[in-house]
Amino acid sequence: MEERRPLILIVDDVAMNRALLSDILSDKYNIIEAQNGNEALMLLREKTSEIALVLLDMVMPEKDGMEVLAIMNKNGWISEIPVIMISGETAHSLVEGAYTLGVTDFIGRPFDEMVLKNRVNNTIRLYKKQKNLSNLVLNQIYEKTRNNSMMVTMLSHIVEFRNGESGMHVLHINTITEMLLRELLRRSRKYNISKNDIGIICTASSMHDIGKITIPDEILNKPGKLTPEEFNIMKGHTINCAQMLNAVPVGKDEPLMKYAYEICRWHHERWDGKGYPDGLKGDEIPIAAQIVSIADVYDALTSERCYKHAFTHEKALEMIHNNECGVFNPLLIECLDAIADKLVISLQTFDWSKQADKDFFYIADAMMNDQKHPIYNQMFRQFIDERKKSHFFESILDGMLFEYSYTPGVMKLSSKAAKKLGLPRTIIDENKPNEKSQENAATENLEKIKKILRRHTVPKDKPSLIKQTFNIDGKSIPCNVKVLQIWTKGQNEVPMLTSVYGHIHVLQ
Amino acid sequence: MTLSEFYSSLGESLDEVLERLRLESRIVKYLGLFLSDPSFNELKDAFAKNDAQTAFRAAHTLKGVAANLGLNKLSASSSELTEDLRPCAFTANSQALLEKVETDYNAAVEGIKALQ
Repeated sequence: MEERRPLILIVDDVAMNRALLSDILSDKYNIIEAQNGNEALMLLREKTSEIALVLLDMVMPEKDGMEVLAIMNKNGWISEIPVIMISGETAHSLVEGAYTLGVTDFIGRPFDEMVLKNRVNNTIRLYKKQKNLSNLVLNQIYEKTRNNSMMVTMLSHIVEFRNGESGMHVLHINTITEMLLRELLRRSRKYNISKNDIGIICTASSMHDIGKITIPDEILNKPGKLTPEEFNIMKGHTINCAQMLNAVPVGKDEPLMKYAYEICRWHHERWDGKGYPDGLKGDEIPIAAQIVSIADVYDALTSERCYKHAFTHEKALEMIHNNECGVFNPLLIECLDAIADKLVISLQTFDWSKQADKDFFYIADAMMNDQKHPIYNQMFRQFIDERKKSHFFESILDGMLFEYSYTPGVMKLSSKAAKKLGLPRTIIDENKPNEKSQENAATENLEKIKKILRRHTVPKDKPSLIKQTFNIDGKSIPCNVKVLQIWTKGQNEVPMLTSVYGHIHVLQ
Repeated sequence: MTLSEFYSSLGESLDEVLERLRLESRIVKYLGLFLSDPSFNELKDAFAKNDAQTAFRAAHTLKGVAANLGLNKLSASSSELTEDLRPCAFTANSQALLEKVETDYNAAVEGIKALQ
């Protein structure tokens, strides 16, 4: 592929000066021009990730070069976009001021064409190299974080699978822990945790029950009440987990290990000292474990288990307040009350496909706000913004949406589509559908979507419209399905269908 | 008048400009554009309106443009005026400095017209 010509922004109030610079540089670069500081800032905002270099005049009406530089500093653009100042200015203090504000170079008038070209070339090459490197690092971090987060999710699901639980428990704990932590940080600085710890504690919270792999099946999945001996064995999952983690040869000093240990060992301790395994009291119990224990109890109460039915949100809160599941830190109960309403919504609309992105946002946030080594990368910021934007639009677009990716074959449905069609939000091709949920309507609807996915088409960029009935609320309802196919366009390769996006519109 | 003669007539050197801007055609083109550059008129206007800030900016621009085209006398007189006006207020010298700029400007403009 031919490489795109770098884009240079020329900022000068004098038409002649712009024309001359453009003349000299346009054989190798694409040029855009601005007549004053305001215009320049508008273009910078619009094309932040495209502009490879700014040639900036110093004396201009409507925001001069120094003001432009000040704003480029404020927005962090100056670290990504090199600026060469070109000016007839000779006053030493002004030139120094320009360097202080971060210009890469200062070229005085009259300038030499050859020198100008070389400085422009070098500056662009240097910045490009740096940008490529930082993109490389960030892409790797993104991949790694997603994989890490998926790995933790997989492992914790495996543990829960043995309990006959859905795997939602771990994800719920994650959500509740995060919300409680944020609320706690808002209310109190008493505990030594920072914003950057939130992501780590949430990840560690996924591990809280891994000790259960040491508990025999008969006890773990016993439908009735456990005998005192059995309960003692069950209690052992805390100590057992702590021992397992101690035996892990790496990561002894890592915060993740520290938090995982605290949470696994002490998430059954209680504020009054009546919990297990060590009978710790009050703030002897590390705060991460305190938070996960209250999250664990809340989710256990509101979920159905082999030995109990599900309580309502209100009933669960009441039981926690009445110390029916042990005594908790009063400050954390305050936090739980404060987030109660938001919590119900978050848990109902939970979407695990966003979980991996969430972890990434934590890291990205921490990296970009790192005092010592802040990372400036406009493309990266835009990427995060795009992800957040799509999450946001998806959440307010109350439509029946589905998306399907071919390798691996995974279908995801928006919450409304899942509800109306009676299907789970995520369907993996190889999975045999759960027997319980295999109602006729759901199976029928799934088959109909699959039929749409199987349609043979040629690559095109426009969505197509398909008429299809779906079984909604026991009735056959005519719908229009708008489908967009995404094809890869590799060189000299047969185009391949990679994913399909669909919107189901119910015809009245 | 050739380009070389033009520069000689102003007491300047074509070679110096050519070294920086490379092409004679480019120099001719921008000398032509110089005729329609509004900076000098803006400078005069600003003096008439007692607007020292605009006068400073116009003098500054003229200095840079002239320097790029190798019109060094004009650039030097504009530079003097620029420094005089830098505090953005007229001084006792301003008028005399403007007259110097005007003389140099007119000489350059007449020469460029004779080129074409």
